[in-house]
Amino acid sequence: MEKRLFWERESVQKQVDSGAKKMTSEEIREKRRADRKQFKLDRAAAIAKVAAEAETIFETEGRVVVPALFGPEIPSGATWKPKTAESELALEQESGSPENAKSKGEDEGEGEEEEEPLEDMEHLQLTLPEAFFLAWNFDCLTILDPETDEPLSLPEIWITFQQIYLAPPIPTLPTPELQLDNPFLIHYAVYHHYRSLGWVVKNGLKFCVDYLLYKRGPVFTHAEFAIVVCPVYEDPQDQEVSITNLQNASPFTWSWLSTINRANSQVMKTLILTYVTIPARSRLSREMLNTPACFAHYSVREVIVRRFIPARMRD
Amino acid sequence: MLEIHPSYPALASVAEKYPTHRGSLFQTYNDILLAQQWRDVQVIDLGQCKRGALQGKKPRTAADADLLLHIVPCSLAESISLAWIQDVFAALVNPPSIYLAVVSDDSSIVYYKLSSGIVKPSI
Repeated sequence: MEKRLFWERESVQKQVDSGAKKMTSEEIREKRRADRKQFKLDRAAAIAKVAAEAETIFETEGRVVVPALFGPEIPSGATWKPKTAESELALEQESGSPENAKSKGEDEGEGEEEEEPLEDMEHLQLTLPEAFFLAWNFDCLTILDPETDEPLSLPEIWITFQQIYLAPPIPTLPTPELQLDNPFLIHYAVYHHYRSLGWVVKNGLKFCVDYLLYKRGPVFTHAEFAIVVCPVYEDPQDQEVSITNLQNASPFTWSWLSTINRANSQVMKTLILTYVTIPARSRLSREMLNTPACFAHYSVREVIVRRFIPARMRD
Repeated sequence: MLEIHPSYPALASVAEKYPTHRGSLFQTYNDILLAQQWRDVQVIDLGQCKRGALQGKKPRTAADADLLLHIVPCSLAESISLAWIQDVFAALVNPPSIYLAVVSDDSSIVYYKLSSGIVKPSI
């Protein structure tokens, strides 16, 4: 969502800059303060209007309407736009006319028509675990089959997301059967674990880790924790016969751990190794992987890594 | 779905030739052209490496604004070897440096600058 606003803001700013001459930072600040003041006046006027309407309704119909402090009638930070010079002039000329509101809309429309309509170049991209989380837990996402444009059912989504990681290199070969160590399952288990504890889980590519945990989101504060996912097989035999080459499933070198810890300490993040235990194949039936009920058999445990320097850390 | 995006026509021929890598090419192209605002951005075909790449110049305000630079997109899921990197340098006729754009599932991109030979760090 923030990405969309960024693109619109930057593009609108470019149009403003190309039209008017460049403003100094003091002018920009004064303009921002003037806009904010105008926004507060407009908002107060709208709230007063809504309250007055509620009064009138009470007097005429006896019906009690609680005047809202926000809503479609009342401008908010996201919806209010500063009036352009042309529309302000037009408003002054037509003030007092009963069709004031209508012509205001028309004038602003005309003011905007001179600018080119902005083409939206941004898209919101969800990862597979994010998409499944939303579809399964909140039922707020519809996922369409790209070939048929038909919505996929939840069982279909569950199976398809696993099969993506099992796709054979040659399309004519049959898809192998579902595996317990499918990367989708491992990553979903971690994602779900931290999301359900209230963390905002984001990609950790910039810091050589798998995930970053934010308290409220990247916009608010820096991430405090960096997660590296370490899958562990309950039954070592399963690892030997595995067709999946899982990252970090084998013991890692000290140099690797040291590098990642160093990179993250530089940026004041705590490194967490998240161990996901993959249940033994021998324990579970084949059908277990057909639903998320299989997660009851996975466990997620954390180990925090901090470098200890004896000379400096005496207490 | 990629096909309806306004950037697609510029990428179409290379994206269709190397469908495995079209996702990372698409993401990198949009980031370089629209977010980083590079100029003269063009898509090139690295035949020997079986993928597309980009070339362009940094915005006018940058230090090295007039240098023609090369960017090679790849996905986080791929394994990159030294031989792979050497092939890319050869295909681009040995530029002094290239940018490797690593694209991940959620569309984050991390750029690494790879230089040919040892380069002293700038202060």
